[in-house]
Amino acid sequence: MALFPIYGRFIGDCVPHLVAVDTGDTMAQVAEKIAVHSVGRRVAPRPDATGFEVLVGGQRVDGDAVLGSLGLHPLDWVVVRFRGQEDA
Amino acid sequence: MAVLNRDDWYDIARDVEWTLSYVAEEDAFPAEWQGAAGIPRDAWDAWDEPVRATYREYVATQREKDAGVYAVKEAFRRSGAFERLDPGHQAIAVLHFGGIAAIEYAAVTLEARFARFAPTPRWRNIAIYGMLDEIRHTQLDLAFAHDLLEHSPQFDWAQKAYHTHAWGIVAVRHLFDDAMLGASCIDGAIATSLTIEHGFTSMQFAALAASAMAAGDVSFSNLLSSIQTDEARHAQQGFPTLEILARHDRRRAQELLDVSFWRALRLFQMIAGPAMDYYTPLGHRAQSFKEFMLAWVVDPHERVLADHGLERPWYWETVLASLEHGHHAIHLGLWFWRRTLFFHPSAGVSKAERAWLRGKYPGWEASWGCLWDVIIDNVNAGRRALTYPETLPALCNVCQLALGSALDRHQVRPYLTEHDGRRYQFCSEPCQWIFERAPERYAGHHNLVERFISGQIAPMDLEGGLAYMGVTPDVMGDDCHGYRWAADYREG
Repeated sequence: MALFPIYGRFIGDCVPHLVAVDTGDTMAQVAEKIAVHSVGRRVAPRPDATGFEVLVGGQRVDGDAVLGSLGLHPLDWVVVRFRGQEDA
Repeated sequence: MAVLNRDDWYDIARDVEWTLSYVAEEDAFPAEWQGAAGIPRDAWDAWDEPVRATYREYVATQREKDAGVYAVKEAFRRSGAFERLDPGHQAIAVLHFGGIAAIEYAAVTLEARFARFAPTPRWRNIAIYGMLDEIRHTQLDLAFAHDLLEHSPQFDWAQKAYHTHAWGIVAVRHLFDDAMLGASCIDGAIATSLTIEHGFTSMQFAALAASAMAAGDVSFSNLLSSIQTDEARHAQQGFPTLEILARHDRRRAQELLDVSFWRALRLFQMIAGPAMDYYTPLGHRAQSFKEFMLAWVVDPHERVLADHGLERPWYWETVLASLEHGHHAIHLGLWFWRRTLFFHPSAGVSKAERAWLRGKYPGWEASWGCLWDVIIDNVNAGRRALTYPETLPALCNVCQLALGSALDRHQVRPYLTEHDGRRYQFCSEPCQWIFERAPERYAGHHNLVERFISGQIAPMDLEGGLAYMGVTPDVMGDDCHGYRWAADYREG
């Protein structure tokens, strides 16, 4: 387990952020850590949404996957969107 | 005794040149300083400045200009009018002095380089005036900012800014280290004199002077006008240089212009874009940033290119798309990260201002208004904490501005380049191209995010970041209108 810096982009926001995650985080946890910088700050919350989806390199990643197992580089992009949101 | 007319002796006095005997030509004029490699020596005989002035004429004119501008400054100071200006206009003044004063001083170095190392005595002669111009501009900015210290300690940033690592200053410094301090005479003349000074700042200063006059800041307006007249003259050093370069090395001329145009555009999106479209009080806006850029920067640049047999930059469509969105993204970022600024930004999104933005930018609501709606709801619901960031934005390794700040928010995507085992990220294709054509020029620099994660900024939190940037509580940015504009949106 180690602190790991990524660039987190929440789809719909205008800027990716530096987000400190842990190599032991699941991608569902990573999604929460990315969303907190956008949703409710500049991106309108969606009360009807049933959670988040995570994309790495354009491919959807399972929420149970552990970040440390994905082979990411520091400051790689992790993209998050509301589940079912396609307006990337 | 009869005195010769100027034109009878001007060429003789200007063309002072002699054959070197104690040192070799390449030692006296090193190629890396001059930048004229590959251009025949006699090609520079065609270099001729468009504006002629003798030293006596120059000094007389400058003395007259200084007397006028300092007289207006004194009268304005005694009137106490600054306190009555709209806070949005006051923000422009702080931003201008903090962002520009030390750049004027850096420009002295560039002009001095022309005066010493330029490939023709004609250019070396006229650059003396440019050097004196820039010393004058530095002195004016510091004197005016000093007067304004009684209104706000933020004006101290006219002196302080370039001795800090404030993120916006890092961005400006990165550009001018590239285009001015780290450039040969030829590169500097194309990037700074022709592109930045002639293409961008000269017209921008004229527009800002008109805007300041309309807002009631007679002193600032006079200062800008006085500086602009110098800029318009010494920026002319770029044209004869481009003519010779384009004739003998067309590809290099094209690339230098393409690099410097995009870099200058990004800088102006940060400094002039928010000032024109958000900080200037609505009643004093003559035109939008996009309208100004298209009429006074983009179209004239196309004419300069055509006149010299050059092409539009390959990224021209990106320029046009960026003019619709880039400065709106940067403005939102400036306001949201306002505690990292040394001035108080204006939100500029009251209902009346939004109607103006919609009229000027038909896509503004869909791209930017919806983000502001969330902010407005938070302001009105008392959730102020949600209107501040808790981390840094991702940053570009060339322009140093946020990734995503060049285009529409729907077009945010990574631009990655690997070089010598290190990964670099960019806001756009043009910034990526600028890096890839000369990676050794930019690879050693670390942006603020990279400094943060490498432990150069400690503690690794907002307080550590502010201390690293030199932002102190007495100058820290906040909404310049005290969030009163949000009342427009309160129900009932």
